[in-house]
Amino acid sequence: MQDDAVDQTVILCRACDMAVRKRALPSGVRALCPRCHTALYDTPYCSINGMLALCVAALAFYLPANLFPVLELHFLGSVRTASVVEGAMAVMSLGYWVVGVAVLTAAVVAPGILLLSILGQILLIKAGLKQGWQRTTYEWLLEQHGLLSQLTMLEIYVISFLVSAFQLADFSDIYFGVGTFCFTMLFLVTLFLQREYNLEHMWSYLDV
Amino acid sequence: MSEAGTQGKDLGLLLCNVCHKVNSAHLSHCCRCGEAISERDYSSLHKSWALLLTAAILLIPANIYPITTLVNQGVVTQDTIFSGIKHLVDSDMLPIAIIVFTASILVPWLKIIGLAIYLTAISFHLPIPKRLLMGGFHIIEWIGRWSMLDLFVISLTVALVNMGQLLDAKPAPAATAFALVILLTQLAAKVLDTRLLWDRLELEHDAN
Ligand SMILES: [Zn+2]
Ligand SMILES: [Zn+2]
Repeated sequence: MQDDAVDQTVILCRACDMAVRKRALPSGVRALCPRCHTALYDTPYCSINGMLALCVAALAFYLPANLFPVLELHFLGSVRTASVVEGAMAVMSLGYWVVGVAVLTAAVVAPGILLLSILGQILLIKAGLKQGWQRTTYEWLLEQHGLLSQLTMLEIYVISFLVSAFQLADFSDIYFGVGTFCFTMLFLVTLFLQREYNLEHMWSYLDV
Repeated sequence: MSEAGTQGKDLGLLLCNVCHKVNSAHLSHCCRCGEAISERDYSSLHKSWALLLTAAILLIPANIYPITTLVNQGVVTQDTIFSGIKHLVDSDMLPIAIIVFTASILVPWLKIIGLAIYLTAISFHLPIPKRLLMGGFHIIEWIGRWSMLDLFVISLTVALVNMGQLLDAKPAPAATAFALVILLTQLAAKVLDTRLLWDRLELEHDAN
């Protein structure tokens, strides 16, 4: 698998295979495919240390966001609480395991693995990517990244506890819990982390 | 800038689907990540059709059968996706109703109809502007995830509201069908090699 003498300034659109010559871009600008308008590349602004800080912050919010209640229901003097994990478990225990697994994957498992994977990638870059096993692990993590970020749906979950709160307000009093704050913070920090993260740029660490 | 319409395959270049590196077309595996690369994946069209048709069939039970069961002071009410939204409108929660309507009805239907048009255009060389099709495809990929909203809301509600005959919420059969619709439509968009659209319709164009 030698690097053939391929002109590295030419890039191909992944959606329509159009060949485009790569040019330097001002920062914050994104190049679109002239034929089908798929995003081609943008100037990578990922700073490794910035990503590390965001990643650690997100991981710090991860456990409380998933274990503390995101909603509290006060009904005739009794208080009910539900965390993200309990929500998934509740539908699963009633036999709706497809729904439970979907909720658990999108709101708990995928975001967690995504954060750990980015942390691993950053640490491997910091270690220099010199040894064979480091490169193999790094490659493997990058290959999984697209799927993991597609499965991560923190933003939708944040909207969903607002919708639930409004729907249940008909029957009872609804309060937000500590988990609500932690989950919203987890979502915000992850959002900034994903903006900072550039998969194309991460792959280019393997070129040198 | 390359000439308009020049594709990678005409230049002997091939894009790696995993790491987006441009490879020389005579390689069988990507020189950076080692993934198998191929010029076009023609079987992806059939896979995508199969997934889409299954999703379209499941969309019927997802809409006809109840998605939640609510027990309120001994009275059992079963709600379909549509009647749930109607309740929201009746209780003057129009903004929430619009959010739920978009996520649970508009998005799944638009996705299935949009993907069907897209796949038909490729399979039967329909003279629909390609740019329009590709734009629609990007929207479908992006909004698809929002359908998860309803499943999140159901899981939170079920975990919060379980107080026997007084007030109790449970998922109902449509929930599983709805979860599968989301999964299958996301997969149908994911497996498709979109470069096929530009190749096949290009032939049509040249023939005229
Ligand atoms: Zn393109
Ligand atoms: Zn590759």
